[in-house]
Amino acid sequence: MVDYDKLQKLKERIDSAETTNSPHSKQKKQSGAGFGFKISTEIIAALVVGVGIGLIVDKYLGTKPFGLIIFFIFGAIAGFLNVYRVMRRIEKQ
Amino acid sequence: MAAKDSPLKQFEIVPFSNTEVGSYDISFTNSSLSMVITVAVITLFLTLTVNPRSIIPSRMQLISELMYNFIAQLLSDTVGDNGKKYFPFVFSLFMFVLIGNMVGMVPYQFTFTSHIIVTFALAAVVFIGVTILGFVNHGIKFFTFFYIPGVPFYMHPLLIPIEVISYLSRPISLSVRLFANMLAGHTLLKVFAGFVVAMPFFSGALPLAFIVALTGLEILIAFLQAYVFAILTCLYINDAYHLH
Repeated sequence: MVDYDKLQKLKERIDSAETTNSPHSKQKKQSGAGFGFKISTEIIAALVVGVGIGLIVDKYLGTKPFGLIIFFIFGAIAGFLNVYRVMRRIEKQ
Repeated sequence: MAAKDSPLKQFEIVPFSNTEVGSYDISFTNSSLSMVITVAVITLFLTLTVNPRSIIPSRMQLISELMYNFIAQLLSDTVGDNGKKYFPFVFSLFMFVLIGNMVGMVPYQFTFTSHIIVTFALAAVVFIGVTILGFVNHGIKFFTFFYIPGVPFYMHPLLIPIEVISYLSRPISLSVRLFANMLAGHTLLKVFAGFVVAMPFFSGALPLAFIVALTGLEILIAFLQAYVFAILTCLYINDAYHLH
């Protein structure tokens, strides 16, 4: 005869081992600083590109200072868009 | 603070020779030396450990196979079947950044990934390559990448510049993330190392213990940043195949 009690216990042990060792439980431990860093670089990078384009536009079209103002705002919005996309990717995981 | 004790001194570029071609300075520096060491370590490690080709792998062969599987899995998860072609590229990129960071963890060894020009060059290669790949796959239709369907037509003049800026910011965020992490980590280690000497009596043991913990964290970050670099490269390659 099969010892069902023993089998049941083994199943429980396997289940508990799987939940503690699964990669998902490890991912939650990502540090807050690392996460904040990831988000901040996204915003900064978009702002840098926006300001860069604004300065180039101003230089060659002579629209100082409107190119810088407009592209700075575009850059800021693009930064938030980047953050939104990163967040959505994390949510999916 | 005297320049000789500065925690930033470790990032100084020291040329070993003065070679100039035209107006370009192509001197062999400590940064180049560290890159040569990195490439040598990767090549020697991978060729020597995989050389026996045993069916039951030794520990070292297992490490090589683990790295191979790690990137192969990453590519098949993010890009799918198309991704196999890009394995050599992503794998060399990952190994170069990973071993570069690890070589930088050795005391007195220069960390080349703590210079933005190095990480930006790597990110620019990824960016330009992925853009060319997008044009090869989709031709002129690649520009629809910046066009978001299902938005009122009067929003497009606003949204297209934003999308373009968002696309152009990719290489910058990719390079800044790696560079800033390495720069901050190594500076922090040096600053706390300064406390060990500066604190009176035996209280220096406290920051020393902290450095030990921090070194462990730095090794984790070194791996994590190489992983992030590789996974973002995979995502960008995926974007070049599937617009939206």
